Amino acid sequence: MKSEVFDVLIVGSGHAGGMATKVLTEKGIRCLMLNAGPVADVSRDTARKPAYELPYRGFRPPGRLEHVFQSNEFNANVWVDEQEVPYTFDPAHPYNWVRVRLFGGRSLFWSRQSFRLSDYEFKAKSHDGFGEDWPISHADLAPFYSRVEEIFQVAGALDGPPQMPDGNFVLDDDPWTPSMQRFIAAATPKGMPVCKQRRAMGRDGLASSVNLLLPDAEKTGKLTSIANAVVRKLTVDKNTGLLNGCVFIDRHTLQEMSVKARVVVLAAGTLESTRLLLNSGLANSSGVMGHYLMDQIYGAGLVASVPEARGGKGKGIMGGAAIVPRFRNISTKSEKFLRGYAFNVTSSTGGVGARNFAAFGAELQQKMEEYHGSAFYMGIMGEVLGRRENHVRINPGKVDAWGIPVLHVETKYTDNEYNMAKDAVDAATQVVESAGFEVLSTNAVPNPPGYSIHEVGTCRMGDDPKASVLNKWSQSHDHKNLFVVDGAAFTSAGWQNPTMTILALSMRASEHLAEEMGKLNI
Amino acid sequence: MHRRDFVRSLIAAVVASKGMVGQQAARQQLPIAAPVPWTLGLNPKTPIPQTVVAEGIAEAKLRFFTAPQMESMKRLCDLLMPAMGGKPGAVEAETPQFLDMLIGESPESRRKIYAGGLDWMEAESQKKYKLPFSKLDDGQATALLKPWLRTWMSDHPPVESHADFVNVAHDDIREATFNSEAWAESLAASTHEGTPTGVYWSAVDPETHGTGPSPKPHVQAAKGAAKMPMYPR
Ligand SMILES: Cc1cc2nc3c(=O)[nH]c(=O)nc-3n(C[C@H](O)[C@H](O)[C@H](O)COP(=O)(O)OP(=O)(O)OC[C@H]3O[C@@H](n4cnc5c(N)ncnc54)[C@H](O)[C@@H]3O)c2cc1C
Repeated sequence: MKSEVFDVLIVGSGHAGGMATKVLTEKGIRCLMLNAGPVADVSRDTARKPAYELPYRGFRPPGRLEHVFQSNEFNANVWVDEQEVPYTFDPAHPYNWVRVRLFGGRSLFWSRQSFRLSDYEFKAKSHDGFGEDWPISHADLAPFYSRVEEIFQVAGALDGPPQMPDGNFVLDDDPWTPSMQRFIAAATPKGMPVCKQRRAMGRDGLASSVNLLLPDAEKTGKLTSIANAVVRKLTVDKNTGLLNGCVFIDRHTLQEMSVKARVVVLAAGTLESTRLLLNSGLANSSGVMGHYLMDQIYGAGLVASVPEARGGKGKGIMGGAAIVPRFRNISTKSEKFLRGYAFNVTSSTGGVGARNFAAFGAELQQKMEEYHGSAFYMGIMGEVLGRRENHVRINPGKVDAWGIPVLHVETKYTDNEYNMAKDAVDAATQVVESAGFEVLSTNAVPNPPGYSIHEVGTCRMGDDPKASVLNKWSQSHDHKNLFVVDGAAFTSAGWQNPTMTILALSMRASEHLAEEMGKLNI
Repeated sequence: MHRRDFVRSLIAAVVASKGMVGQQAARQQLPIAAPVPWTLGLNPKTPIPQTVVAEGIAEAKLRFFTAPQMESMKRLCDLLMPAMGGKPGAVEAETPQFLDMLIGESPESRRKIYAGGLDWMEAESQKKYKLPFSKLDDGQATALLKPWLRTWMSDHPPVESHADFVNVAHDDIREATFNSEAWAESLAASTHEGTPTGVYWSAVDPETHGTGPSPKPHVQAAKGAAKMPMYPR
């Protein structure tokens, strides 16, 4: 067993690793998957509890997970503990790194919004001169997007403008509710396209690698998986310069172990893949690795109320969700920022939060009852530009629980992002006011970088080996048997949530790898 | 050793060992103290002792607020979230005591907002009414606080001094009250807010193979990985 050499070593079991595993094993390739954390079993690891039974009444346990705004006491144990796997940053420029190390990674908990990138992203430099074009276009990725959409059962309508390409959807032909119709009527003259939301339905509401990808791989009999295996370093054959496996540490015993493989596929979730490569001193002849860290700005937006829906009259008026794809800098040009943002739009039948009223006690109670079922939300998803100075590097002075040097994250938003957020709040205010809705609260300050959980870049792909880490197949320019199939490969971020693109890139890279292995080129 | 001595010592050894066997046999005949291994009694049918949350029963020692700050906090809780419509208020929900613990354990930035905010509130009260905040009537306390109320969106509470404290404390007081046992018990009355219950995740560590219906990847433990102990040590 110890002398066994696997065909492919896959690091990470989330969307990216799960897709690579499915594609490769279905082609008869023997894969070893290593995952840093344990397997979660909902029937064993969860229980329904009232908040008052928990020590902190459901509040986020203090001092833990200070940078995971999405956490609370119920789910505190699913996120990576910041003390166990720390990272560093300048306190003036905090970074929210939101990680899950359970088998399946973040695919267990994602919100399933599912969009394609368009050529406004793939060919962004050609459009506005900033950054770099990707070495691929939407046409290259379209067949893979279609297959991913099929596996993930993405629901949506065929209503996208060119900046939000349509796909292979489970068609959503529900009519718009009257509140959404009012919104559309107000948005359209302002140049805002309003489209149906696009969301992966998966199976039983779960669109994870553990239910949609890994079972297919396991069926082939070609997959071996090890849990609690924290990969510390990739190893290289000194004679050939090719990767030949890795060293990992057992999470519980701290026992160091090694395995051998002919090819390595990294899918550790963007920054962990980059950290592993930097700690291994590999694949960075360009000096670009770690640079061009990107995500999307979140947190800016507004809460409004539809007056006709108040006083319990919301039934039949409210409900539904929409996406307003990027509309700035498509056919017009903004003076204040490059690229653009989308809006998530929700017409809610639920309560309106107390924060939306400057009142307390009986007055607040009366307001909340009156406004119940009339809330209308708009939230931004704005593209963060890829800048070389926004980067991660190894902090040699600090290690994690397994003695592995941690990442230092140095990134901040610029006027481009701040101006975009302001513009979004102004635009949202104008459109809901012209729809006749009442604005209750607004916020133009983005959440800290990382908050969107859409970190991408740091091993970007490109045709030029001097300016990129990976080629158009997500393959290292320096080591032909190394592939990075997660969000690290992104050349630009776009406004879109990245997972559909991660999945499509992983599928495409894995099929290419299988083909090259078949031809004995790798 | 002379032959006779050798034979004698042999006989003595045989007698001694016979005696020991006899003792062992006698011991084995004694009734066994616990005929059934105690672990067998621990099964899904084992009665589970009923317990209550300590907060409702016991007096907590102040941990973060000073005694005067706690008095102000109680008044603030009563003002911002009084008992209404058959629902307990923040005071009945023991929210001031809970916040004393929560804020006491929180990072410095949050502690500062509370400590500074309570001291500011007290100073304002003395300045305006020459009374401690805890003794203000509803009209006085409302006049003092209302100008600082703001509307705001999640993750972005007001940052301006005093408004930060008033709005963050208001939010915390409400959440702690909704999530209290007292609130849960009063659910019979009509309201839009129920008691938050949620799916609580225990630590998924150390890993064991579960048997539930959810699809699970088949994984093997790394060789040499610790065996899961049967009982926590
Ligand atoms: C609450 C939430 C909501 C989200 N909503 C959306 C959404 O609506 N739409 C969207 O597109 N995206 C969304 N995302 C983001 C989405 O989940 C991620 O883009 C996607 O899951 C990333 O997949 P991945 O496989 O690249 O990484 P991950 O899921 O992070 O998986 C990486 C895996 O690598 C393993 N690993 C890391 N380091 C090591 C190591 N050293 N050794 C061994 N294994 C290692 C980890 O254990 C982990 O399981 C959301 C995320 C969250 C948490």
